Amino acid sequence: MSDLNEVNEVREAPAAIRVRSEDLVRTGARALHIQTLLTPERMQGPGFAFALLPVLERLYPARNDLARAIRRHLVYFATHPILAGYVLGAAARWEERRANGEPVEAEAIDTWKRALASPLAAMGDPFFWVTLRPLAGLVGIIAIGLIPAPTLGPDWRVLLCPLLTLLTYNAFALPFRVVGTHVGYIEADRPAALLRSLRLREWGHALGCAGALGYGALLALVIRFLDFGSIDWGLDATAKITTAAPLVVGAVIGWAGLLKWPGRVVEVALAALAAGLLLGGLL
Amino acid sequence: MNLIPEMVRVAILGGVLAVDRAAGWSTMLSQPIVGACLAGALVNPGPEWELWALRVPIGVGAILQLLLTDASLPAAQRQHDTATAGVVGSTVALLGMVRLHSQIPAALGGGLWVLVGVAAGLLSAVAGGWVMGYHRARSRRDVARAEELAGSDSAEGEAALLDALEGVRAGRRPAAKFELLYWMAMGRVFLVGAFWSWAGSLLGLMLAIAVLPMLGEWLTGRRIGFVFATTLGAALAAGYHAHVRSRRAGGRWMALGAAAALVLLAMARQTNS
Repeated sequence: MSDLNEVNEVREAPAAIRVRSEDLVRTGARALHIQTLLTPERMQGPGFAFALLPVLERLYPARNDLARAIRRHLVYFATHPILAGYVLGAAARWEERRANGEPVEAEAIDTWKRALASPLAAMGDPFFWVTLRPLAGLVGIIAIGLIPAPTLGPDWRVLLCPLLTLLTYNAFALPFRVVGTHVGYIEADRPAALLRSLRLREWGHALGCAGALGYGALLALVIRFLDFGSIDWGLDATAKITTAAPLVVGAVIGWAGLLKWPGRVVEVALAALAAGLLLGGLL
Repeated sequence: MNLIPEMVRVAILGGVLAVDRAAGWSTMLSQPIVGACLAGALVNPGPEWELWALRVPIGVGAILQLLLTDASLPAAQRQHDTATAGVVGSTVALLGMVRLHSQIPAALGGGLWVLVGVAAGLLSAVAGGWVMGYHRARSRRDVARAEELAGSDSAEGEAALLDALEGVRAGRRPAAKFELLYWMAMGRVFLVGAFWSWAGSLLGLMLAIAVLPMLGEWLTGRRIGFVFATTLGAALAAGYHAHVRSRRAGGRWMALGAAAALVLLAMARQTNS
């Protein structure tokens, strides 16, 4: 008799709703647009709700429940956009448990989100923005100097150099985008292990050294560029740079300007350009 | 030269780059070197300009990339639109070169047009930041709308949210209105970027056409070289801040890179000779 009761209980229990792999793929794809409605007040909050929508629609078929779930995720949220998939995957896991009746409070989901988002931002910003992005641009610039300009026909460097820049950056960034939501979903309960597995600090140090190395190589190329016998710009030899003095003037303005006003690169560059025009007028 | 197809291509490119930067794609499409080179590939001044039509954008892109690479975190940066700066710079340089070559001494070569492109790109970054302010302001309104729907626990707020989730038409997925709000914001980013690439290029071109002929006599090769070198120096200094200054043992790695490159270049020259 008791066995029969147990069978009846199992039959009466609602079927568990599971997040499907395709939902996570769609969430990951939507995470590409996570910053569209970026504001200082909510940061990526609206984008987070937008990206998680496929998962929420799967878990909450009743519109009242769906409405509440969306509202929970519209709150302030900020992390690195490329690593947002990890938080989205973890949030999908926690929402799945909540939708299936496990004792997961709404506030707990928000707390977990923030707890994962903050270290991801702290790791992602220095790696992607401060290290990898400048390095990728530098790769494109160095390629301009290394790939010889054709004497006849179109100069394919116009496509090769940006392609190298894109490949350098996305060779590192794309894997995080692709696997982020799935890894986040699987490792939702082990955030420390998840963060360690990214190895961004080690990669960041190596790429930082590569950036400095590449910058040194660029300087060497410029020194070669200042060999006026091989310079390509202009047809008239007298029109070429004759001394290194203006280069030093520009370097001092740029170096001192950015030391004094970091983050104002455009203004400092315009100041250097204006100084060049002013001093050039005195010649 | 028909300007309309060129400007349509430039506008579409600018829109895509603006989405890459503002919507969070962050694929590096919006970097100046990529934008400038792609614009150079799209703007076609004609076969007689084949040599400079592709080299000038490369020069504009390389210098703008060094100048606009800001190693500080995005929150610490000023709101400049570096995504379309390369596009506007390259377009102004190429279209200006075609229109003004008869009034500017040809002996100056491509250096002048690289400088014109860099100047146009820098000014475009500043003005483009103001234009993108429109998107930021509208985003705040959109988020305010979402907050209005989601922020209140009152029955009224709940009803408004449920109404929005119901969708406008029967049969539409729930949450359609929220998604529509989001996709429209994405479209707005594209349109703002496209508009600024188009308008900025035209404004820059008009400015170049108005100013450069007046400087005809002033624009000697020596002066152009001086300004070019000053700009290059500032670009290298910006590169130093981005790649070396904040790195642990950055100076040593830089010296190693320079030494290795000089040795390799010397070896290559010896092999060639």
